[in-house]
Amino acid sequence: MSILRSLVFVMAGMLLPLAASAHHVLGRPAYSLNEDSNTPPSMQVETQIGDYFVTYMVFPAFPRPNEPGRINLYATRLDNDEPLTRPVTFKVRDDSWFATEEEVIGQQEPVDNVYRQGFVFREPGKYIITAEFTANGEPYSIDFPLQIGQVSSVGPIGITIGALVIILVGINLLQRKRLARLKTRDYHAGKGA
Amino acid sequence: MARAAGVLSQLTCQAPGIMAHPGLPAFWVELVLAAVVVGIGWTLWRTGPPLRTGNGLSLAAWPIVGSWLRRLVSVPWLLLGLRILSAALFLLVIHAGLFGTPLPARNLATVLTWSLWWTGLIISIYFVGSAWCAICPWDAIATWLVRRRLWGRGSETASLQLRVPRMLRNVWPAWGMFVGLTWLELGLGITTSPYLTALLALVIVVLATLSLAVFERKAFCRHFCPVGRTIGVYSELSPVALRPIDSTICANCRSLECYHGTASVEPCPTHLVMGRLQENTFCTSCGACALSCPTHNVAWQTRPVGQEAMETARPRWDAGWFIIGLVALTSLHGLSMLPGWERWMRELGRLIGDSGQLLWSFSIGMGVSLLVPGALFAGAVYLTRRLLPRAVRFDRAFASLAFAGLPLAFSYHLAHNINHLVREAWGAGSVFLNPLGIGTLPLSEAEMQLRHLRPLVHQEVLFALQAGLLIFGFWLATRILQSRLIQLAGAADPGRLARLPVLAFITAVTLFNLWLLMQPMIMRM
Repeated sequence: MSILRSLVFVMAGMLLPLAASAHHVLGRPAYSLNEDSNTPPSMQVETQIGDYFVTYMVFPAFPRPNEPGRINLYATRLDNDEPLTRPVTFKVRDDSWFATEEEVIGQQEPVDNVYRQGFVFREPGKYIITAEFTANGEPYSIDFPLQIGQVSSVGPIGITIGALVIILVGINLLQRKRLARLKTRDYHAGKGA
Repeated sequence: MARAAGVLSQLTCQAPGIMAHPGLPAFWVELVLAAVVVGIGWTLWRTGPPLRTGNGLSLAAWPIVGSWLRRLVSVPWLLLGLRILSAALFLLVIHAGLFGTPLPARNLATVLTWSLWWTGLIISIYFVGSAWCAICPWDAIATWLVRRRLWGRGSETASLQLRVPRMLRNVWPAWGMFVGLTWLELGLGITTSPYLTALLALVIVVLATLSLAVFERKAFCRHFCPVGRTIGVYSELSPVALRPIDSTICANCRSLECYHGTASVEPCPTHLVMGRLQENTFCTSCGACALSCPTHNVAWQTRPVGQEAMETARPRWDAGWFIIGLVALTSLHGLSMLPGWERWMRELGRLIGDSGQLLWSFSIGMGVSLLVPGALFAGAVYLTRRLLPRAVRFDRAFASLAFAGLPLAFSYHLAHNINHLVREAWGAGSVFLNPLGIGTLPLSEAEMQLRHLRPLVHQEVLFALQAGLLIFGFWLATRILQSRLIQLAGAADPGRLARLPVLAFITAVTLFNLWLLMQPMIMRM
């Protein structure tokens, strides 16, 4: 699936005029409902990277193809809880082992210390969003998963059934060989006697 | 370039905000402390012969229900029905995990596996011993696949029937699997991912099938299964077990159907002979012995709590380490759910340059949590040996005295799990009605508050249970210590001083677990 085709448009500043006030509790933005979505986020990832603690949310709860969604990112320094102010670049790629094609979807400045990146995907799938920024001369890069729509999960079932079939058939063949060998040995032993 | 390690978790789906359960209030803490002080005084003051634990009573001898219970263990359809039911639920868990919502609180896979089964399982051990193993879906599915029969003795040629290599004929593999499971649970956060929960379930089915297809009998249950071995050692404390009704019948038995099986009934899956059974550790309660015994001489029996750990269980070096590992890992469960744990991991992550899910930091934290209790206990055993009136080998003393750690791990495990169960199982009914969580949304702040404020039992009852469990664990640990010390010292009185080192360990673990229960605990989902 081509990202260029899937990603119809990304409007970085689209949502900025609508920005509601983010409430900060103990240094974290506390959202329950979002200004452009009446659902809580489907995913909240909190992670540490270098000198920063990063919180990442996706709205709405389950982004679907052809529906606008948004990523919120919030980063603070670990030593003094000072929020990140440098611009953050968001990129996207397919979540597969062989995906190499990556596309920049926007660069955002913080509004009320929160970086907001809008998106619309045309096709369902599993994607990786990369957030990149530079602080104190050091580049930072964080990968987050993003699922759009329903994605089939038959892979693990197929692998499990395959593994079970290999085990059962393999053991059966080995056992047949073993029994045949034992029969031959018994036959020769009987003949010798 | 600082880079978060790999892709951050599959989907860490949580509503924003962190909710924490309140810790044990001062009154209950003081009560436990008072009980510990009294217990220490009693343990040091007491002299004389071993404490008697009393005799067991066969449930088959109970009026009215006795004959009914006896018949129940000798009919295969009941167990088969329960196995089919548990396997069906298990397959539903896999289906929900792979194809349902990624929201852990709305998906049957995570709610049933981690909030209900994993927490309820430990509680069930006290009441029904190792009965879970009899209806375990991993083993049921593996058996049906390999033996190609729903019930009864399968073809011997369906499996290679190899002996387990000597170096694996112990519980070290299960111990390694248990450490791995804990790492997945607390480190990788598999409990909040229905998808990963389903993957784990599939992996274990493959491992159980492989083991059954290659090795003789149920090697997976005996040597590899982390859940089975945990149930096994905990069930040494359980007041119920499958035992002979009349031991003289077993003593005179020469055919040993319980061990060899019959034409239609499987042999004992873990190589046990009912007449010589002294400990529950390896019994899977499968009931094959009850079905095969020509005199129907096997039934459930009640016995004093902890009798095996005190008197009859055979000390083994590997099992001793497994028990001390359980002491460490149960406390780690509580430790990793403290709000402060995340802060410590972040500091450690900064120190070592870790990023992403801080898995290296967690692994180090887990390693330290395992090493410290192990080293403290080994030190206590070393001192005890020096204070005993006769020479005892270190491994024997270690394995024997490790039984004293069993009630500590079990009681804290129960106290911790009860908290999860009564606070996080709220709303589980709706998950059964919509196992895949179709059309559901993440838990709102209001729902989280509601769960927080409305546990399944009154909060004071929960606190009383937790405090009672800690006192029970401490009391039983001191009794086991006294009994095992007398065994180690032979006929001689080991003396008060010899009790001190392991008593100090028991006290330290109890106080640490008490401190953990005093702290607010982060909600899992």
